[in-house]
Amino acid sequence: MREPLVRARGFSYAYPERDRRALDDVALELEAGSFTVLAGTSGSGKSTLLRALCGLVPHFHGGEAAGELCVAGLDVREHGPAELAAACGTVFQDPESQVVMGGVRAELALAVEHRGEPPAAVARAVEEVALALGVAHLLDRRNDTLSGGELQRVAIAAALVHRPALLLLDEPTSQLDPVAGDELIWLLRRLNEEWGTAVVIAEHRLERCLPAADRVLAIAGGRVACDAAPSDFLKWAAAEGDRLTTPLARLFSGAGLEPPPVAVKEGRERLRGAGLAAAAAPAGRAGPDGHHSLGARIGARLGRRSAAAAAIDVRGLWHEIEDGPVVLRGIDLRVAPSERVALMGRNGAGKSTLLRLLKGLEAPTRGRIEGAGAVALLLQNPGDYLIHEHAIEEAGSDALSAAGLAGREDANPRDLSGGERQRLALEVALAGQLRAVVCLDEPTRGMDAASKRALHRRIDVLAGGGAAVIVATHDTEFAADFADRVVLMGPGAVIADGAPADVLAGGWHFSTDVARVLGPAARALTPAQGVAALLGAGTDTQQTQTAPPPAAQTPRELVR
Amino acid sequence: MKLVPVYRIGSSPLHAAGAGPTAALCAALALVCVLFEHPLVLAGVIAAVIGAGRAAGVGAQIARSLRLAIPLAVLMVAVNALVSGAGETLLVRGSSVLGHRFDITLEAVAAGGLAGLRIAALVLAFGLFSACVDPDALLGLFRRLSYRSALTATLATRLVPVIARDASRMSDAARCRPESPGRAAVARAALAGTLDRAVDVAAALEVRGYSAARRPARERRSWSRHDRSVATAAAVTAIGSIGLLVAGAGAIETAPVLVMALGPGELALTALPLLAVALPFAGRGARLGVTHA
Repeated sequence: MREPLVRARGFSYAYPERDRRALDDVALELEAGSFTVLAGTSGSGKSTLLRALCGLVPHFHGGEAAGELCVAGLDVREHGPAELAAACGTVFQDPESQVVMGGVRAELALAVEHRGEPPAAVARAVEEVALALGVAHLLDRRNDTLSGGELQRVAIAAALVHRPALLLLDEPTSQLDPVAGDELIWLLRRLNEEWGTAVVIAEHRLERCLPAADRVLAIAGGRVACDAAPSDFLKWAAAEGDRLTTPLARLFSGAGLEPPPVAVKEGRERLRGAGLAAAAAPAGRAGPDGHHSLGARIGARLGRRSAAAAAIDVRGLWHEIEDGPVVLRGIDLRVAPSERVALMGRNGAGKSTLLRLLKGLEAPTRGRIEGAGAVALLLQNPGDYLIHEHAIEEAGSDALSAAGLAGREDANPRDLSGGERQRLALEVALAGQLRAVVCLDEPTRGMDAASKRALHRRIDVLAGGGAAVIVATHDTEFAADFADRVVLMGPGAVIADGAPADVLAGGWHFSTDVARVLGPAARALTPAQGVAALLGAGTDTQQTQTAPPPAAQTPRELVR
Repeated sequence: MKLVPVYRIGSSPLHAAGAGPTAALCAALALVCVLFEHPLVLAGVIAAVIGAGRAAGVGAQIARSLRLAIPLAVLMVAVNALVSGAGETLLVRGSSVLGHRFDITLEAVAAGGLAGLRIAALVLAFGLFSACVDPDALLGLFRRLSYRSALTATLATRLVPVIARDASRMSDAARCRPESPGRAAVARAALAGTLDRAVDVAAALEVRGYSAARRPARERRSWSRHDRSVATAAAVTAIGSIGLLVAGAGAIETAPVLVMALGPGELALTALPLLAVALPFAGRGARLGVTHA
């Protein structure tokens, strides 16, 4: 019988000076060549399991380990990360912290050089992995000139250069835009299929990686709570609540359709099979390229101009870097009080720069910003706001309560989870004062569903208090959920501005899974909207069963 | 704006040559600055560095280094003029503070100027080194001698801008607070963040086999024409300047009165770095078939 690549039996682990076990009686087997997704809420033990698989736990972090965990025949309690490195490559969340050399070529060569390979073998390994991962054109670039997506690809190439049997990835897409994130997942699938490399990936955005996976391990409280194929995992997750379900699973569950689909294509086919097919976009609605009609745009713009007072009004805003590129090119943006705006666009489009200008962290080269009051800004890294030893020193007790951290006054902010840090940092930026505008830059990075819901509630409260809330985000599902307006930026300019359904329903990358399945004509972005659209179509289906539709009406239109 | 140049891939002979020859040329130029205080010789080195930088396509980076060098040079002149007081040609009679008389002499100003010129020349030579020498390739040269030390040096070089960005982000976050938390608190948090970053990098190195790293295999690399010409320029500069020093060229006295030799030896010393750095850029070989490093 073939020995599994990973075998755990009763493996438990506790970090130093912690009573609670981060991993508790873990039992699992992973076959060579498998593609496994680790699902779980923040703090469930996903990252710890990955760190145990590569030997950092217990050798690097210390603590106590018990039971058996073998990777490629090596027991991680006896063999450290350097020995396990021959069998597994590891990629962490922040590519900036795992790139150690100055240039890409040297970065890729490092792991092979550590093994004492001769120069010719090093050169060949670098060349092959660069070609396989599509980074050959980056070989002569310096690491500090790479984008986040490029750097993450280089990190993966560096982890794979010695052709390990197992690749471990801890939320590798959390720092990437949707385009780069999707590309990365499909790159991993290709590596898995062509090279037979076993992949274990921890991700919060399950909808992104479930279609590529063979298997899902759900971790809860340090234990394996579910070990199943993706479709079976979704059934299990639906029974457990909606903490680990995907938008498509919620859509199908809400519409009473079983079983939930794993991928968009599968969902579309199921709907077609059930007689609920997407229709082409009618005139005046969002088209498949994401543009909406001139009338709709003029209407939206006029509506905004007629608003009595703007929370913030930006006109002709330019930002040009000295000796560098033009970041913003004549941005016009008017946001009303209580309006919730999602600012979207790929990396480098200028979203963060726009928020920095609104806050006054940088001065525009040209243009005007008029605000109705103070602007609060939460930058991308919430940890940057937390500079004291205790949470209570960062913000008052009222703020801690607002952040859902009552009773955690003495906690060190560095020990809080990502979502908790995010909420505390927001309260630090707000400082208990009423703000005319609240800007959040990528607040959902690395957040689980529960943390996103908590953030959504806080945004509701802020907007309810009259603040205009502007959120720069790559998370289309979150944008569709909280925003009543989406501003899509291209390189330095606004390329679409309207209601979420107008901008996102017909998008390719800037769209939600529900919209992809139901089609642009449905104008449904969230599972709830999708369920409403499907139920409307269901009624329509019943009606048409008695009166056959004319041929021109197929495929069935889902617009209510 | 970055005052210290950063290496980027280029297509000049200085970039095409290996890290060893180009680093040796920069070191030879620095050696001239260390050996001589004569203003003509130092001016020759500065002209050589600026010329080489322009020819190598890093003129803008060298110009930025100049912005760092000039204030340093001016500071040297001011400090030396105020503190030294050596020399017989009194320019300004100052008052006495705590028993020290702050007279400004021509010789002290000149000595400060020469020190400033030397600092400026050294900064520019380092700028040329930073702009044209691949730090990873330089690491490769020292790898067989002391692998871990060389890797530590590379890591430190790589992490400096990363940590600077971290500190800049924390400073921005502090500006986003309604009340500034104070520089000490931000600095303390930045230091803690640096330690976190260091731990992350250490973990990344561990999972790439660092603690079991073996001594790298020897690499035998044939010398290209660019390697040869740049190495020759370095050797000519170093050997020529040492020879002229032994011959007594470049002598200068700043106290008690300013005495400066100006003969064929000094002219040769001035011309030496200029001619040497021109060598890699001269001839058909420099223009044709220049490859990327």
